[in-house]
Amino acid sequence: MFIEIHFQSGKPTYLQIVDQVKTAVASGRLREGDALLGIRPLAERLRINRNTVAKAYTELERQGVVATQAGKGCFIAESASPFNNEVRERMLLEAIDAAIVEAHHLQVTDEAFLDAVQKRLQLYAKKKQETNATDDVESREAKR
Amino acid sequence: MSTPVIQIKQLVRTFNTTDAVNGLDLTVQPGRCYGLFGRNGAGKTTTIKCLLDLLKPTGGKVELFGMNPAKHEVATRSRLAYVPDQLGFYPWMSALDHFQHLASFRKLWNLQLQTDLLDQFHLDPNQNINSMSKGQKMQVALIGALCPEPELLILDEPTSGLDPLIRREFIRTVIGAYQDADPENRTVFVSTHLITEFEGLIDEFTIMDQGRGLVTMQTDEARAQYKRVVAVFRETQEAPDLPGIMDCQIEGREMELWVEGGETHIRNWAEQLGCESLETHAMTLEEIFLTIVKQKEKQHAATAH
Repeated sequence: MFIEIHFQSGKPTYLQIVDQVKTAVASGRLREGDALLGIRPLAERLRINRNTVAKAYTELERQGVVATQAGKGCFIAESASPFNNEVRERMLLEAIDAAIVEAHHLQVTDEAFLDAVQKRLQLYAKKKQETNATDDVESREAKR
Repeated sequence: MSTPVIQIKQLVRTFNTTDAVNGLDLTVQPGRCYGLFGRNGAGKTTTIKCLLDLLKPTGGKVELFGMNPAKHEVATRSRLAYVPDQLGFYPWMSALDHFQHLASFRKLWNLQLQTDLLDQFHLDPNQNINSMSKGQKMQVALIGALCPEPELLILDEPTSGLDPLIRREFIRTVIGAYQDADPENRTVFVSTHLITEFEGLIDEFTIMDQGRGLVTMQTDEARAQYKRVVAVFRETQEAPDLPGIMDCQIEGREMELWVEGGETHIRNWAEQLGCESLETHAMTLEEIFLTIVKQKEKQHAATAH
């Protein structure tokens, strides 16, 4: 379980753990039934106060992302599907914000920025169409 | 409200004409990991010695577990373990001899933990301690401190002079073998100038300088309050006269401000002046420490003139 703590992010440590676990679930890196590292081993690995890890795990359980099995540990819960809208939306907004900042630095106007976004979306749509078309041809060939 | 594990009120300790400690207040609740941060000579070791009754306070009062350590020596000392910055061992003793010696003073000694940690650190229990490296000696001292399973662990500059591997191992052991075994009843009090090492462990701290406490804060709160704001303007600007600015560096059109709590006002000010870019960064505990101590020095220099 790869978690990285950044002490100069200004974000409380326990929240960094909570968010990284949720992101891992949303991206599919962690799946239902996967075990989280125990409180002590994770605290030792990250060299942080073990109560901070305990707080993060309690919060994850409160949010229904993990469930504790007495004596066995913490596991990703059933309800924590990879399609967690809140997390996906936030990840998308972070990516969009980064692009907007970049456009601003490059002194690209809002109109030019949106125009570029449209062009890229069209490009991907076209690529997808071409891929589907090729797949259709290939599957027809295979059926012969 | 539980009894604080450590309570220091207006501590003063004078040596001849020097005030090594000159008015320190701090309180440590059970289950906390508390950091006493300060430069060399700030008064940290003197404070700890007053806590342990190795020195008598000149003024003020110290309490351990609600008791005066001078009046209740055994009652207080039996509940804590101390790893000093200057390690000393009897020269003829092996690690095992040393542990047997320490155990004879203790009601409880976790022999399994002793074995496990000796294993973990790859130490030869029969090796003469004085032939061990500095790092290994520190590990012996740490094992000796953890095996009596004390409620309070006092560490004075524990990782100073140790290589990075040993330093990491040390902190992992404090977190795992000590803290995790009984998190609500185990308290860590560490005095250090190596703040980065302990940044993850510490949940509350006091910064000490020239015998006084400058700031006491929870770690999360500190990281939320202290920020670095970097602004680039169309032309050079002078530093604003706004509250919360601890330090300011100007380089051409760029301005870097170290702020405590006044982030919003400063951002508004910069935006009103039409800044070209504005970034806010949080600071590490060490950066916060440096900023606070630097500010104190500047104030000191200003009043001296």
